[in-house]
Amino acid sequence: MFKKILFATSATEASDHAARVAFNIAAMNNAQLNIFHVLGVPTRGYSQDVLDVKTKEKVEADDEYVAWVKEEVATYYEKQIQDGMKVEIDVAVGFPHREILRQARDIEADLILLGRSTGEAEDSVYKKSIAGSTIQRVLKAARCPVMMVSRPAASFWGGVSNIVCGTDFSKSADRAFEFAASMARALDGELHVFHALDISPMLMGKALPQDTIEHQRREAFRRIRGKYLPGMEGISKYTMEVWEGIPFVEIVKYAREQHADLIVMAHHSRKSEAGESTLGSNMEQVIVRAGCPVISMNR
Amino acid sequence: MPEGKFCNKKPLETADEIIALLSDKGGAQYYEEMATLDVDSDLLWATLQKTFKSRMKTWFEICAHCGMCAESCFLYLINDRDPRQVPAYKIQSTLGEIIKKKGRVSNQFMQDAMEVAWAKCTCCNRCGLYCPHGIDTGIMFGYLRGLLYSQGFVPWELKIGAGMHRVYRAQMDVTDEDFVETFEWMVEEYEDDYAGLMVPVDKEGADIMYTVNAREVKHYPEDLAEAAILFHLAGEDWTVPSRGWEQTSLAMFAGDWAACKMQVESVYESMARLKPKRMVGTECGHAHRATVIEGPYWAGRKDGQPPVKSIHYVEWLAEALREGKLKIDPAKRIKEPVTLQDSCNYIRNHGLKAATREIMSYIAEPGCFIEMSPNKEHNYCCGGGGGFNGIGKFRPQRNKALLTKRDQILNTGAGLVIAPCHNCWDAIRDLEEEYSIGIRWSFLKPLLIEMVEVPEHLQSGA
Repeated sequence: MFKKILFATSATEASDHAARVAFNIAAMNNAQLNIFHVLGVPTRGYSQDVLDVKTKEKVEADDEYVAWVKEEVATYYEKQIQDGMKVEIDVAVGFPHREILRQARDIEADLILLGRSTGEAEDSVYKKSIAGSTIQRVLKAARCPVMMVSRPAASFWGGVSNIVCGTDFSKSADRAFEFAASMARALDGELHVFHALDISPMLMGKALPQDTIEHQRREAFRRIRGKYLPGMEGISKYTMEVWEGIPFVEIVKYAREQHADLIVMAHHSRKSEAGESTLGSNMEQVIVRAGCPVISMNR
Repeated sequence: MPEGKFCNKKPLETADEIIALLSDKGGAQYYEEMATLDVDSDLLWATLQKTFKSRMKTWFEICAHCGMCAESCFLYLINDRDPRQVPAYKIQSTLGEIIKKKGRVSNQFMQDAMEVAWAKCTCCNRCGLYCPHGIDTGIMFGYLRGLLYSQGFVPWELKIGAGMHRVYRAQMDVTDEDFVETFEWMVEEYEDDYAGLMVPVDKEGADIMYTVNAREVKHYPEDLAEAAILFHLAGEDWTVPSRGWEQTSLAMFAGDWAACKMQVESVYESMARLKPKRMVGTECGHAHRATVIEGPYWAGRKDGQPPVKSIHYVEWLAEALREGKLKIDPAKRIKEPVTLQDSCNYIRNHGLKAATREIMSYIAEPGCFIEMSPNKEHNYCCGGGGGFNGIGKFRPQRNKALLTKRDQILNTGAGLVIAPCHNCWDAIRDLEEEYSIGIRWSFLKPLLIEMVEVPEHLQSGA
């Protein structure tokens, strides 16, 4: 399924769950695993100084330092790098999202794997409740599927056998479905297509009559069937479901109930206000809440 | 030891030499060698006789030592009115002494002069505005830097920076291929959002040839995408040159006159090759100074002008908004207190104050834009100009220099600072890091992207 996996890591505990999944998929697919670490962000105008992301110290990222960091990353994953695995380690200097996207393009990755946001110690609570800006930016621009593993519960990867695909019937959701279906076919797994009827705006004012909700739910069912049934060919077990509620809550709940080991969704590159990280899209909420890895499709 | 391995009078000419000097962490060995570097007094005097001409001679002669320049210098004010920070004193005690002694100065003198030239003057040229005789000490410090550079007395980072221009014709190790490739990549990333977005490379006879700062290519290429998007939305006929795309000049900060000429000529060659109607440069102050204001003289152009009309990004933006090529969604205008940093290099030194204020009138709700005090051509340097930002050796002095801008910003009460200049942007970023005053800072492009109306036919097809 995957030939070249880019595992972008902070080489800290925040990426450990993603690492487990990364090594697992790489082994199962006999894929090339590119472990990629952005060691620091440039600082000080045109000077050569960078701010090391781990030590928070100002360093000069010359060849010697880069080699040392590479060694550190190799040591960090020593136990997981087994003989016969095709593993490469690269480190770079720059803004993490930008360098991850650059690397993905350079090596022609067919899957990017990201861990949870590292955040800052002081505002970790804030950071944990939303996906970090690196993740947001990579999701928006990546050309290949991006898999995120943010919670420990999400990392028990025993191969994919049970995929939940969330759809809002958009074009990008259709592509996410195609991808999920091709995965289900390749792995002979189950596929559950799910639509959440967003009734959250109604909760602000007066509640919607139940008849209306149920009518909309029937409509959505009709759409889901019409749209996705033809694509189910060759998939041994599939279901379709529509629940009403707050979309990200419903998707996470549904995935839990289905014992899903993967959620596939489309990322909408809608701009947030002033480009700030906000408690934004359903995608970002699903990433931080899901009990299994989440794949975001962008194109 | 006359010439050091790293610290010497020879400019960096190859990528290997740059890498070698970079490997000397923080310039430790470089500065050690500088302590014993010989001063070639004959060369220094010969250079002076060839290059120290009537304008500066006159300035030295007519300086009445009145001290009116003192209060104009933010470094004097921020350093407790230390008399050694008076502009006239600073230049008399350095360049003045070299001339008086006909180049017979010591190694220690040259090291001290280096500190004055790079850590006690940002070449902001504010003193020139306040001198009753119009003596511009900033110009003379630019000249002194050239003398110091030719003798090997230049901060480590700037020796590297000048070498980058010599080797790559860019301030960083960004090749022409990297530039085109990165620009194309960025457009790829955004083409789904804006129908028909593309980057026309080497198009002849375009209305606009766009030039950039290599840092955009290397570290924040979104800036390239934003430039492309805004040109595209404005319906401009624009292009980028595959060679001669770098507008900046660390060589100018370093005083490497030969590299200044090489760099700016690479841009002028691209103008000659592509014959655009105009050149627009990115949101950078010193790049504008190097390529548009001083460059023509380096390149020996008799009319003192670049080969084609060259304007700063803020001039283009003001024009695009004025003529309605770009339209701001009124609902998305800035609704919080916002202030504006006047870049010395194109506000004081090229009179573009009206352009930035016109832009503010379109993008901020009435009453939200708060001027710093003083402002426009009287504004203070960000604190990191003239290369100050990047010099590790003079970091403490630079951090102190940021206090002026910090207090100016605090006095406006604004939470957002618009800084259409790379150097100012860096300094303001650093001052937030050093002094945590709770501000945000931005170039114009990212703000505009969020505010402009996207005509229906240019919206994404998806």
